[in-house]
Amino acid sequence: MRFAALLALACCTRTLVAQTSDELNVGLAATPVFTHVLPAPGGAGAVNQVNLVAPWIMLDGSAYEGRLRLTSMVNFEGATIPDGVPTPGAWGEGFVDRRHPHTYAHEIILTASQPFAPEGGNGVSFAMGKGFAPFGSDDPMTRPFLAYPVNHHLAQILERLVAVAAVRVGPVTAEAGVFDGDEPTKPSDWPMLSRFGDSWSGRLTLTPVYGVELQGSYADVASPEHRDGGGLDQTKWSTSARAERATSAGRAYGLIEWARTVEGDGLFTYHSVLAEAALRGQRFGIAYRYERTERPEEQHAGEPFRTVRPQLDNSILGRTRWSIHTIDLDAAIADRWPGIRFAPFVEIAAGKITSLTPAGFDPMGFYGRDTFWSVSAGVRIAFGMRLHRMGRYGVALPAMPEMQGTPNMQMPDMGNHSEMH
Amino acid sequence: MRKCAGLALLAAGVLAGCSDSTQPPDRQATTIAELDGNSQQGLAASTLSAPLRVVVTDASGQPVAGVTVSWSVGACSGGVSAASSISDANGVAATTFTLGPVAGVQTVAAAASGLAGSPVSFTETAIMTVSGDSISVAAAVPIPANYGMHDTYVRDGLAFAFAWNTGVRIYDVGNGMAGGSPAAPVLVGSLVTSGSVDDPDPSVHNGWWFHNPVTQEARYLFIGQEGSGSIGTSSRGDIHVVDVSDLAHPVEVASFHHQPVNGQPAGVHNFWMDEEHAVLYAAYYNAGVVALDVSGTLSGDLSARVIAEIQPGGAGNTYTWGVMLAPDGSLYASDMLSGFWRLRLQNGSFSVLGGGNNVPERLTSDLWVHGGAAYTGTWGTRGANSGNQVKVWDISSGAPVGKTPVTIANVGTVSDLEVSADGSWMAVTTEYGGGAGLYLYSLADPLAPVLIASYPVADPAGGLHTGTIASINGRTYVFAARDPLPVGPAMMIFDVTDVVR
Repeated sequence: MRFAALLALACCTRTLVAQTSDELNVGLAATPVFTHVLPAPGGAGAVNQVNLVAPWIMLDGSAYEGRLRLTSMVNFEGATIPDGVPTPGAWGEGFVDRRHPHTYAHEIILTASQPFAPEGGNGVSFAMGKGFAPFGSDDPMTRPFLAYPVNHHLAQILERLVAVAAVRVGPVTAEAGVFDGDEPTKPSDWPMLSRFGDSWSGRLTLTPVYGVELQGSYADVASPEHRDGGGLDQTKWSTSARAERATSAGRAYGLIEWARTVEGDGLFTYHSVLAEAALRGQRFGIAYRYERTERPEEQHAGEPFRTVRPQLDNSILGRTRWSIHTIDLDAAIADRWPGIRFAPFVEIAAGKITSLTPAGFDPMGFYGRDTFWSVSAGVRIAFGMRLHRMGRYGVALPAMPEMQGTPNMQMPDMGNHSEMH
Repeated sequence: MRKCAGLALLAAGVLAGCSDSTQPPDRQATTIAELDGNSQQGLAASTLSAPLRVVVTDASGQPVAGVTVSWSVGACSGGVSAASSISDANGVAATTFTLGPVAGVQTVAAAASGLAGSPVSFTETAIMTVSGDSISVAAAVPIPANYGMHDTYVRDGLAFAFAWNTGVRIYDVGNGMAGGSPAAPVLVGSLVTSGSVDDPDPSVHNGWWFHNPVTQEARYLFIGQEGSGSIGTSSRGDIHVVDVSDLAHPVEVASFHHQPVNGQPAGVHNFWMDEEHAVLYAAYYNAGVVALDVSGTLSGDLSARVIAEIQPGGAGNTYTWGVMLAPDGSLYASDMLSGFWRLRLQNGSFSVLGGGNNVPERLTSDLWVHGGAAYTGTWGTRGANSGNQVKVWDISSGAPVGKTPVTIANVGTVSDLEVSADGSWMAVTTEYGGGAGLYLYSLADPLAPVLIASYPVADPAGGLHTGTIASINGRTYVFAARDPLPVGPAMMIFDVTDVVR
């Protein structure tokens, strides 16, 4: 009933805004998925679950000929997956081996832009609200896989109160932002106002040719894992190369990234290397990802999928390295009902866990083995506007192929495939 | 609970199938039914006040004597006085039930073969406290949520609360200097100690107020700074010495920084003191155990005060949580990785007297030694095992010998334990899980603790991090460090007098 009401709202909104010169777009999406993971933590066999992930409503609008833009998403994962979704290697916000639910107010950003000239994209912008700090690569939600990479908390900084200034001149874009360091620990958390400005980041992006981005970024994040501010500070680096273009076989996409987070003035260091690629034709898509990422092993809070939050001290059990291959296959079903898009998919991941500090944490003891695999099968359902690219605002959001009216624009995006459709 | 009941009924059925039913020639028993004794409540591990009784009748409802009734207990570790009983002239068969040691619903089944109504199920409830003998909260002193609070040291009516980046807070809880009491602590002083060269945060974790029997001074408070660490690999944090001659204005006067071990920083954890000889024993995580000479005036860098040190488990297998000196001069150490050790400091060096590598399946936490018994806690997760046990050790013959451990349901960590001065009971604090809170055990048999009371906290994501026993003005208290969830960190003061008297 609620979903039907939202559909009706989206339809009405789209109809109304079609009569205005500025844009107001609404989109809805959700992905029912079955997940099988082996092994479960604690050596208790496999995990089998059905979840509804990424149920969101997105509202984007612009005024003053695009100079003022609202970017927003309400995410209902706090209601549908309060205990997270099984994802080997995932960690952060008090979850482990389950990807945490996002906060309800995932993104609410108002961006003011001033172009230097009517054409060309050069200009300045200022964005403020709850969203992404200028750091690292795009949010995994907007990339071709359902399962988040292990490096999510190394390669993105999100759900913060941010103020981001950006300037773009020719192929170079520079961004700088301040934000609060605290990570949310539950879906209803808001950024701590008292901590706004205790952290900062900057990103430099080079677009040497159309469809290709090279970025390098740095962040200084105060006490992300302890909301009250007494935890360890982090310094983070990220560099990546991203490419996307239309080919005769369909839309091609690739990302290579390296990220590094140093915590506690060098006591803990985590590295990540990730490469992913996707090719999507009119009917079918295939994507592959490989990552090799280190993560902390933290004290468990009485059960295998949760860790202690707020942390009681700054110690960890040790570090592990997760090497994972992931392949995703999906199909786009033509519109069966007007405006509603379906994309059944299956995603398989397999990998190996290596302990870098075996005295404190031994995967053989905890999981009963040091290899794992998972399979997810479900259908992405979406209606209305396509998922916007997440992680950049204003002039820092380069015009990419999908914005140029390539043939695959008619393909249905299913929530986390926006660049590919 | 259902499983327990089901097991009881199943067992009763099996037993009934094997039992004899002796029927009077003139009356045929047809029915068995509950008479009384159901739905009682009693202290765990105690015998219920009323017997459990059933009545056997014939088709006309008349009592039938001589029928064998089998009694069986669900999987609750309780016991009945008789596994079977025979109905008397009134048709009544009875037994008495001693509850198992775990709180909750426990079942007993009475069965007679071939009778309608068989088996009859009795559902009883074991509780951890009895009316009038419960743990009560004397006070809950909020601590600023600056990482909360880790430990408490209580002596002479003063409570030192070690509150991480808020520093040490000194409360009068019965000393008289400021009119405080356990029910109304009065803050008399505080200090935020410095960081270390490799960790700028104060991270005030624990302490010991040194009463020097030679000089009669109570001048120095030793504070442990618990910096960040990786279990088995590294740790950070110094010993900070605070002059508390003026309790209202404590001043840091000295510190000790341990040099890196195998290229990794080393930081301090818990203390014990040999006050008579002015030796401070410090558990030093990956550096093992360090003994410091703290005699005389303490000032500046104490690096030259090291008497001896040892990594009991060796490099890569040492991460020492706590130490405790026994009256016979043995120094016991609990090591997260290598378990429970008996050491000795003699002629300026440590030697291993026994123990070690004896808790391979869990990470070891705190320890306490009393008489011929010792107890160690367990922490976090190791392999598939949670830190839900109290290990019990027989140390009467030298090397620690493990006895049957106490398993605490629904907890993730046994973070601290302490035995009362007379050795009659033990306080245990636990975290993470529905059972997190304070547990009190009778040590009538020191090698077989029996739970006598518990006080749960409300949130499975928190619990009590540490507990310290104190006697103040004739009453007995446990001072506990409450975790930040669910309602914020606090120094909890539990009055346990009526439970442990």
